[in-house]
Amino acid sequence: MKIFKSFLILSLLGLIVISCKDDDNDAKIDDNEEVELITTVVYSLTDPENNTVSFTFADKDGDGGEAPKVDVSGNLKANTVYTGKLTFSDESGAEVDDKTSEIAVVEADEHQIFFTNTSNNVSVAYSDKDENGNPIGIKSILTTTSASKEKITITLLHKPNKSAEGVKEGDITNAGGEPDIEVSFDFNVEAVAL
Amino acid sequence: MLIKHHFWLIFLISVNSIAQNCVLNINGTITDDGTNIPLENATAYIKETKKGAAADSNGAFKLSGICQGEYHIVFGHLSCEPKEVFIEVNEKDLVLNLKLKHTAHELDDVLIYAPSKTISGQSKETISEQKILDNASKNLANLIESISGVSTLKNGTAIAKPVVHGNFGNRLTILNNGVAQNGQQWGNDHSPEIDPLVANKISVIKGVSALEYMGSNLGALVLVEPNSINKEPHLHGKSSYFFDSNGLGSGLNVQLQQYSKIGWKINATAKKSGDRKTKDFILKNTGNEELNLAFQLEKELSKNWNASLYFSSFNTRIAVFQGTQATNLTSLNEIITSPVQRFSDVDFSYSIEPPNQEVSHNYLKLKAKNYLDDNAFFEFTVAGQLNSRNEFDVRRAKFKGKPVLSLLNYNLFGEGKFQKQIGEGLVLKTGTQTNFINNSNQPGRGVSPLIPDYSLFQIGAFGIVKKQWFKNTVELGMRYDYSLQDVVRINQNNKSNIIVEADNYNNLNGSLGIKHRFSDHLTASYNLGYSSRNPGTNELYSFGVHQGVASFEEGDPKLKIEKAIKMTLEIEGDVNEVFTVKALGYYQRVNDYIFLEPLGFILTIRGALPSFKYSQVNAEIFGFDFSTKWNITHSLFSTAKYAFIRGFNLSQDNIAIINLPSNNLRFGIGYHFSKPVKLLGKAFENIEIEANSFHVFKQENISFDQELPLNKELTEFVPLPDGYSLFGISLASDIQLGKNRLRFTGKVDNLLNVAYRDYLNRQRYFADDIGINASLGLSLNF
Repeated sequence: MKIFKSFLILSLLGLIVISCKDDDNDAKIDDNEEVELITTVVYSLTDPENNTVSFTFADKDGDGGEAPKVDVSGNLKANTVYTGKLTFSDESGAEVDDKTSEIAVVEADEHQIFFTNTSNNVSVAYSDKDENGNPIGIKSILTTTSASKEKITITLLHKPNKSAEGVKEGDITNAGGEPDIEVSFDFNVEAVAL
Repeated sequence: MLIKHHFWLIFLISVNSIAQNCVLNINGTITDDGTNIPLENATAYIKETKKGAAADSNGAFKLSGICQGEYHIVFGHLSCEPKEVFIEVNEKDLVLNLKLKHTAHELDDVLIYAPSKTISGQSKETISEQKILDNASKNLANLIESISGVSTLKNGTAIAKPVVHGNFGNRLTILNNGVAQNGQQWGNDHSPEIDPLVANKISVIKGVSALEYMGSNLGALVLVEPNSINKEPHLHGKSSYFFDSNGLGSGLNVQLQQYSKIGWKINATAKKSGDRKTKDFILKNTGNEELNLAFQLEKELSKNWNASLYFSSFNTRIAVFQGTQATNLTSLNEIITSPVQRFSDVDFSYSIEPPNQEVSHNYLKLKAKNYLDDNAFFEFTVAGQLNSRNEFDVRRAKFKGKPVLSLLNYNLFGEGKFQKQIGEGLVLKTGTQTNFINNSNQPGRGVSPLIPDYSLFQIGAFGIVKKQWFKNTVELGMRYDYSLQDVVRINQNNKSNIIVEADNYNNLNGSLGIKHRFSDHLTASYNLGYSSRNPGTNELYSFGVHQGVASFEEGDPKLKIEKAIKMTLEIEGDVNEVFTVKALGYYQRVNDYIFLEPLGFILTIRGALPSFKYSQVNAEIFGFDFSTKWNITHSLFSTAKYAFIRGFNLSQDNIAIINLPSNNLRFGIGYHFSKPVKLLGKAFENIEIEANSFHVFKQENISFDQELPLNKELTEFVPLPDGYSLFGISLASDIQLGKNRLRFTGKVDNLLNVAYRDYLNRQRYFADDIGINASLGLSLNF
């Protein structure tokens, strides 16, 4: 009985000691800790007169929670050539953290951006290259033809097969890889008043 | 015989004393203790002299011409495992009367181990040591799948969890050498971190309420049990090698044990497998590797005190098929409609790349047992477990090689139990347990944690009373637990903010069991139990994308305790021991049943992701397990098993409960050669060949809308997989090589290389299940 009693006391003591631990604060991500998160995509289209239309997708609190905000700042003009530029950033914290160079420069050969539009009225061509001479898609040229309602889907693929058929031309079909980002924008192409 | 025999020895030294050498005799009888039936044709074989004898119809056997000395005698009977015993023959004849005797001294726990004397008469089915070794390449879930009522929830081949009567994960307790395995069992893609090869026996209890154990289960238990160390002063062991053709996997297991003043046992396993192959394709990144070590020490401290120590370390790396990581609706559409299997135009490889899991589980248990007398004992256990789980995905730049999930979970457990025969056929068992769990996300992941940090303190006590008289057994038990949980979680609305929650729970569990033995050939048992289960931390506080399954999961902090009533009725019988039948019907009503409900899609920067939420409804689950064996002749036998289960979601118009297994049927036909066959100068003993089939019916009860939340959005309907049939053959034999015994097994699974998909395999959206697999096993007993 003695042994039983002392065993019981010892084990209960041990358990009590351990259960009086401090609250753990490791759950929180430190303000200084790096986070692999992209919350915002901005596709800015500049026409020859330097007017810019921006397509913005922002999910500042990350997945879940509040729904993402999708914004198209204006209409595009028909029969116009736009200079396109993509930026990726993390806006979840106090400051805006630009991630574009991580994709465009550091790991350019492992990323390619695809622009898929609902109709042929809008077409996008690449105007940048990675170190192997393959396109990336951060910089692009967007050309509109007739007036219409359009929807464009911008997909950032991680580790696509850039040498598969059609991939270099912007056809996502044989690209493989994994979509890190896929955002869609509904927009209008309007006829230009002469 | 369906009942597995434990042979134990009772020495009775004969009065005859003939002091000559080599004319000594070993006589005796081999009988069944419970019924005193003599075991005709049971064999006694002396390894050193290679002489043997068979018991006659009275169970009597005689070994003559024995010299003085030390011998190892192997006792065997039909389809039972051989049992080896060490004896010393001095100057007199020896009389050995073997009975199936279960005493508090010899077996760890009378009421659990003895098949006819289980603590509650709850249905228990066992996988023997022989079967475990014959299937050495299988993981725990795949190994017990052949038990009727047991299924497997898989994500590919290497990731598999057992499902008993529809219960898995948080609802199924797995006892690793008597202590509830603790880790991240909530995840559908988290395999239990246990090596089945450390066990000498694996049992499944399909019960109503496992009162003796702390834990959140609704009566279903899997017990993984190593035996105590044989009291043999010589070094003995086993070494086994196995090979699988699918995945080109190999493994090696070595066991060593010895008992002189102190007993020790070591069990080590190493396994490695490469990419698996479906009927037509090699699936890229589906290999796995494992390195495990278990160590046991036992000592009799005094006449009444026994102590034991058990340590095990389980370590695995599992590659996850790239195809299952389809991250959004667009990819899912592509994969499901594509005629070509994605991620399959590859060469075979052993490499393990992201996405993959790395898990390790270390466990230490100390136990002391005090026998007050033949009818009473005390038992104390203290155990600690440390579980580390890291999951990796393909990541960008500076995050390469960092885990997306990194959880460290440690657990301290203490228990005191007391058992005593307090009257004529009346036994009392009581005990108390405390448990402490701490779970923390490790830093450096660069992503939000899926489940929060928490610590959980539990304390509980139980009492069970069992009365046996004439042909009846009645058992009544109660259990109470108190739990206190502290959770530290991120405020999802303001991520730099922490919320600290404290939840406490009171749980009351109870059960009643009645068993009636109509005759030696027919018994029936009825069990009724009430149990409650606290919501798990993942069910309350999950939030985020669960990388391993590419879905968004959200918990509900308002979830309440699940309360369930379960009843089972089991009938077990035989006709002249030629034809045996076991039938079990069960019904379970669960109020506030928690499950991960598919809701639809949410829009994220990655596109549309399937979205799930932990929801609470009232549910009803019922089913029927049936198994039968027919000994057509002395050597030819055939088996059949059927399992049926259905579940209704009573709060949502009686739609089906998801993630319940499909109904299935198993057949087997086998031939056991009673005489050894001489081949190449060696005698092949115990040759057994078997052909088997497994038929799974289509899951007809799940509706179009419930099939992930995909069908409304996809361009093509995702069909539930069709039913399928798999065929297999197996062959086993033993060969005596000097003092050692070699066992050879060969089998082929999915003999016809059928392409199939199973409802409970998450990989089914992306690829077929594996094709043909030929296995080879060699096991040497020394």
